[in-house]
Amino acid sequence: MSMIDTSAQPTAKATEVTDPSGTSRRRRRRRRARVTEQAPQHLRAHLTAYLMITPMVVLLGIFVVWPLVYAFYLSFFEMSFYKDAEFVGFDFYKYVLTDPEFYDSLLVGLKFALMVVPTILVLALLLASFLATLSKRMAAFMKTTVYVPAVVSSVVAAIIFVFIYQDEGFANWFIGLFGQGPLAWLNTATTALPAVAVPAIWLGFGVSTLIMLAGILDIPESYFESAKLDGANFWQRTRYITIPSLRNVILFLLVSGLTLTIQEFQLPLVMTNGGPVNATNTPNLYIFNSFRDATPYATSYSLTAALLLFIVIGTISLIIFRVVSSEKSSDA
Amino acid sequence: MNRSWYAPRRLLSYLLVVGIAVTALFPLAWMAISGFKSQTEVLRTPFQFFPDVWQLDNYRLILADPAFVRAMVITFAGAVIFTVASLVVNSMAAYAFARLEFAGKRLWWLVCITPMFVPAMAILLTSFVVVSKLGMLDTLAVLIIPGVAASAQMFFLRQFYLNMPAAVEEAALIDGATRWQIFLQIFVPQSLGPFVVVGIASFLGYWNSYVWPVLVVSNPDLTQIMQYLATFRSARGNEWGMLMAGSTLAALPTILLVLIFQRYIVNGVRLAGLK
Repeated sequence: MSMIDTSAQPTAKATEVTDPSGTSRRRRRRRRARVTEQAPQHLRAHLTAYLMITPMVVLLGIFVVWPLVYAFYLSFFEMSFYKDAEFVGFDFYKYVLTDPEFYDSLLVGLKFALMVVPTILVLALLLASFLATLSKRMAAFMKTTVYVPAVVSSVVAAIIFVFIYQDEGFANWFIGLFGQGPLAWLNTATTALPAVAVPAIWLGFGVSTLIMLAGILDIPESYFESAKLDGANFWQRTRYITIPSLRNVILFLLVSGLTLTIQEFQLPLVMTNGGPVNATNTPNLYIFNSFRDATPYATSYSLTAALLLFIVIGTISLIIFRVVSSEKSSDA
Repeated sequence: MNRSWYAPRRLLSYLLVVGIAVTALFPLAWMAISGFKSQTEVLRTPFQFFPDVWQLDNYRLILADPAFVRAMVITFAGAVIFTVASLVVNSMAAYAFARLEFAGKRLWWLVCITPMFVPAMAILLTSFVVVSKLGMLDTLAVLIIPGVAASAQMFFLRQFYLNMPAAVEEAALIDGATRWQIFLQIFVPQSLGPFVVVGIASFLGYWNSYVWPVLVVSNPDLTQIMQYLATFRSARGNEWGMLMAGSTLAALPTILLVLIFQRYIVNGVRLAGLK
């Protein structure tokens, strides 16, 4: 069960090694302590550490903590151009939680995530299993190949796929081969969301594949060999060896994938801007578009919606992070 | 005996490799090819993969647009500055958290790691308010500075530093080296692999960003490349050939980056401790 583990053991070792020697140094210094003063030396070590973390702390303080605190603050006030901001308590939270449009967007986000993430996981598992059988050179070529789409920006991907979904575009030619279509992909309520999901899958499958491949390569070769000797076919090996051994990796990819994908909004922003009839209006796109709504009410409202989403998603990612870290430390 | 099934299996393997590569790269190839098609050919019936006439006009025209070239140059410059600044800030903090003991370390660690769990959308609007209060709107600084400190990257580098053997550092300390010297002369030179991984992530993050520039920059001199493309699409959405040519050129630096550093990226998955 070592596939999520690289750091745990060496980490523990490093701190163990550092600590005793650290104390012995201190002891050595203490012997000379009456001659040279210990305090300045000691202070200087702290000072170095503080200097090293200062840029990070200051930048995060200004550009993350301040906006976050400010967002919470604003969510309790009703802003207006005409009068002073008025404290309204949890009113906006109530509005958001009783607003059907917010739930509609959550549903769209959930549907979108359920189209994207399981597809990516299945694709990644199959690809990674295949890549693991390749020669070193071929595997290196394939790893780079599957990674290339991952670095393409969502804007470029969105533009490419809008082009593919044009009436005379590739997608309609392709389904035409099977006697179907043509479809107005992005203008039909039923096809728009799947059509936006395709570029999301394309952008996301590469990284998942590489992560799964690393996991598969960690499974002892002997498991697969003895299974082969017993006559297990590819599906049986996948079912009884690969998937159980990758349980943690798959779980991690599933949960982190869902939390990331439900937040996607750049693809629908460029491809459909939420339409048709809100079919692709993911939660963050809904929030983003209400940000741009000039009325002050909408601002506080969308801010609150974003915070509520953050609380849910932040909690989920914190839990994953915890689970993954504890897996690491319990692994040996 | 082995050989009899081995050869066709290998052939099948090759075919699969080619098939997967073609499918995975198809959207990019399609974009680049479409850039070579004239306006009459780019969306034609009956459908045709390759143009009758390969023409360079779209690429030539987009490169002749000063706004496009300026967007490419200014975004590239911004991305390089952003990447370097991120590496400096995040690796320094990573080293301190991995190797030094200091008062309040746990608290500062929490302060530096919590932002990892804050989704961009939750602070997008108020970040805009903050940078406008700071008078940073419509500057190169507003594109670069707010994203420089990145908790995830700091975490990644810290993992790497935690795993480095303590012996060399101890020896250097005994020789009287300061922590700064140890960091700069021992840790940094050994960080090439992880630096490439997080550096590429920074570069991509900056190069591909769209929403933040749209919010904070309206000066055409500072238009970022993704902003340019999205604007082009809404303003001249029917000129597909040129749009595809522009998108191809805009995607090129990121793809080249992957090809140049492919060795490191694949290892990066392993380094991430995530595997």
